[in-house]
Amino acid sequence: MITSHPMIELQDLHRHFGSTRAVNDVSFAVARGQVFGYIGPNGAGKTTSMRILATLDSPTAGDAYVDGFSVIDDPDRVRRRLGFMPDFLVAYANVNVHEYLDFFARAYRLRGKDRPRAVDRVMEFTGLDKLAEKPTTALSKGMKQRLALGRALIHDPAVLVLDEPAAGLDPRARIELRAMIRALANQGKTVLVSSHILTELAEICDVVGILEQGRLLAVGTVDEIHRRHEDPRSLVEIRLLGDAASLGKWLAERQEVDDLVLDGQCVRFSHRSAPKEDAALLRAMIEAGFDIVAFGTKRQSLEDVFMTVTQGLVQ
Amino acid sequence: MRVDGDAMTIDTEAAGPDEPLGNVQPGRFERFLAVLGDRLNAILVKETRQALKSRQFVTTFGLLLLCGWIWSLAGVAIIGPAIDYGTHGPWMFFGYYLILAFPLLVVVPYGAFRSVAAEQEERTYEMLSITALGPRQIVWGKLGSAALQMLIFLSAITPCLAFTYLLRGISLPTILLIFFYTGLGSLSLSMVGLFLGTLTTEKYFQVIISVLAAVGLFLAFWGGCVLVQEILRAEEMLQLSDAWFHQEFWIGNAAVVTLVVSYFALVFEAAAARITFAADNRSSRLRIVMLAQFALFTGWMAWGWIISGGYHEILWTYLIVAGLHWYGMGAMIIGESPDLSLRVRRHLPRSMFGRVFLTWFNPGPGTGYMFAIAGLLGTLTLAVVALELLPVWPAGQSPSPAQSYVNARWFAAMGLCYVVFFLGLGLLLNRAVRKFSRVGVTTAVLLQVLLVVLFCGIPAIVHSMTWEPHRSSYSAVEVASPIWTLAYIGQRGMPVKEKSLIVVLVPLAALVVFLLNLPGVVRELRFVRIAAPKRVMEEDAELAAQKVPPRPTRTSPWDD
Repeated sequence: MITSHPMIELQDLHRHFGSTRAVNDVSFAVARGQVFGYIGPNGAGKTTSMRILATLDSPTAGDAYVDGFSVIDDPDRVRRRLGFMPDFLVAYANVNVHEYLDFFARAYRLRGKDRPRAVDRVMEFTGLDKLAEKPTTALSKGMKQRLALGRALIHDPAVLVLDEPAAGLDPRARIELRAMIRALANQGKTVLVSSHILTELAEICDVVGILEQGRLLAVGTVDEIHRRHEDPRSLVEIRLLGDAASLGKWLAERQEVDDLVLDGQCVRFSHRSAPKEDAALLRAMIEAGFDIVAFGTKRQSLEDVFMTVTQGLVQ
Repeated sequence: MRVDGDAMTIDTEAAGPDEPLGNVQPGRFERFLAVLGDRLNAILVKETRQALKSRQFVTTFGLLLLCGWIWSLAGVAIIGPAIDYGTHGPWMFFGYYLILAFPLLVVVPYGAFRSVAAEQEERTYEMLSITALGPRQIVWGKLGSAALQMLIFLSAITPCLAFTYLLRGISLPTILLIFFYTGLGSLSLSMVGLFLGTLTTEKYFQVIISVLAAVGLFLAFWGGCVLVQEILRAEEMLQLSDAWFHQEFWIGNAAVVTLVVSYFALVFEAAAARITFAADNRSSRLRIVMLAQFALFTGWMAWGWIISGGYHEILWTYLIVAGLHWYGMGAMIIGESPDLSLRVRRHLPRSMFGRVFLTWFNPGPGTGYMFAIAGLLGTLTLAVVALELLPVWPAGQSPSPAQSYVNARWFAAMGLCYVVFFLGLGLLLNRAVRKFSRVGVTTAVLLQVLLVVLFCGIPAIVHSMTWEPHRSSYSAVEVASPIWTLAYIGQRGMPVKEKSLIVVLVPLAALVVFLLNLPGVVRELRFVRIAAPKRVMEEDAELAAQKVPPRPTRTSPWDD
């Protein structure tokens, strides 16, 4: 069924712990099939708002909706369509991987052939099928993360809330996890994912929200946030044959060039311009007779934007 | 790890037909077992798997078997050749009972408590709570797991207990009765353990509760052992072997079982309410159980009253238990939040009949106050009706002194006023405290304890400071003390000198407090049913459509 409402919606959400405003008037919406990256420094309120979405905590004010159902008034309906992966592993003693997933499949009322089928597919998807008989407490950190993801997926939820899923994973596991999240989004699942590794988020997320001190500072697609918050200047590095000083002198006369640094045969400066004008500058330098060997520009990454938007405030 | 684009699609709707393994078709019994296993409570399955692998269970079970064998060998060796002539059954039985009662009355209930407490500590409960399992299923699962362990322990020691019957001196009804009540006790204590496990998530409180639970269970074990020892001693005098054929035996046991089961249901509902999400109705079921529990008690008391021809002790027991029951329940209910969630408001009674009679079951301190008062008033009305019927009772003559019934009427009237006053005052205080702090059931109960201590303690101190010989043991100061006043009325009747003061002051105080609480009660009564959100109605309609079987296709041209 095609729904007109967003799959995830936070409306004026507040969560206060005494005088601490862990979540302070946060509102955003995530459409079906989107991957929403939730980024912010430690203590920004990411986990708190994710726990509210997962019906594990209640907001002080405002509400949150999953597939149109309120997490306050209809948590039972929310739970049927939401899979939550917390930032810690919930393992049981004396239970192996298969039994663990089978238990949660039963808990989500999967009956008959559906249950073993769901367990098998989840184990295959997360690569845990070789470890079916291994006790959950004996799994490595990466395997535990996979098990936690498998548990969140066992009832085939339409919405996934993943809190720091890549924390503690080795580079290979991170790449695989990224691929898994993309695969889930391709199936039409809506994913809300938080991470400290911004480069990874930039690659997999359609929409990003930046949170600090409980406030949502910026929200939109990665490009939108870039446009809204990015410094219009690009950093240019030129390597040339011959005298860098004459090029420096030539550049210093141009108004759009700042922060000029000469370093041997290298010249670095910031250029207040669009990419098209970077090309024009290069052409002008060549026409002026400079022997340019290398011309590189670097635009700001999501990490730079994050550093610009946030102030490193903690509460 | 294999990630293959859209490979991961769990289609829970399209379950294919059962495929036989190889060429072997599963038999009917296997299919039945498969279906049964499939329908079993998820927690029961998981905890059974865990328990069978756990060191605690294996150790307890091993020790139980070992102790049983050691006691069998040691007992037979001690008895020696006399085993053929004497009656050594009770002696051997008690030894086996000690071995069995420890796991049943201590290990299993404490395990049930720890099972919930550990889930809270290790945060595994969070993941459990967001599954499709309801709070009652969670409690049933945990309880089922405790019951299963109990049955395994019982089965291990059963041959030994059967052996004691062959040693003579102990009857089969006694063995079965002790078995039954120990099992019932184990289940009930496990239920209490589960409830205690839900009480708090704070670690230091959990430590306190752990210690209290352990002490309570050891006391229960000790009490059970003493009781069984007494039963074994009185075996011959009670002639329990003939008990099966006596009506009183069955009635007495039915009364005890009713009492235990009703409290079990209350604690079960309380535990489920503790783990239900905040917006859900946590109160109405509890109130229904409270009412049902008291209706059962009333039934047994009425039965006792009738067959005894109006014995006054039964009436007094009824009045005292009624007062304590409704006051205790009321003290907890008035700690509820006065705000009704939107979810609860979707299910409020709508009809005139519903609003008049069922509104008092709605969550809220005001409706709770009225519920407790109405319950007590109903109880006292029944008692007064019973008293009025006394002169025309077929037996004709009351076996009790007339003055006792006069006292009972005063006791009932003043008891009601005190309950109205104390619960009402507590409700006003709760409202005041709520302005700057959270008020829950614990706060409300603590406030009631404080009020009772103040109202009983201050008059007691004043009385002891102004004590004079030859002066009456009751003075005007004691009017404030419900315990003192009601005890005096119960034992000696209305104090002659202070009668007018009591009759005016106590009802007046109750009336004033009641009137002060009325606006709050009316505010709660104004809540009316609201429609469910559109999205909820859409889903309900979809689910309802799935449940309606498709209409048969008309094939006959004569069908309309």
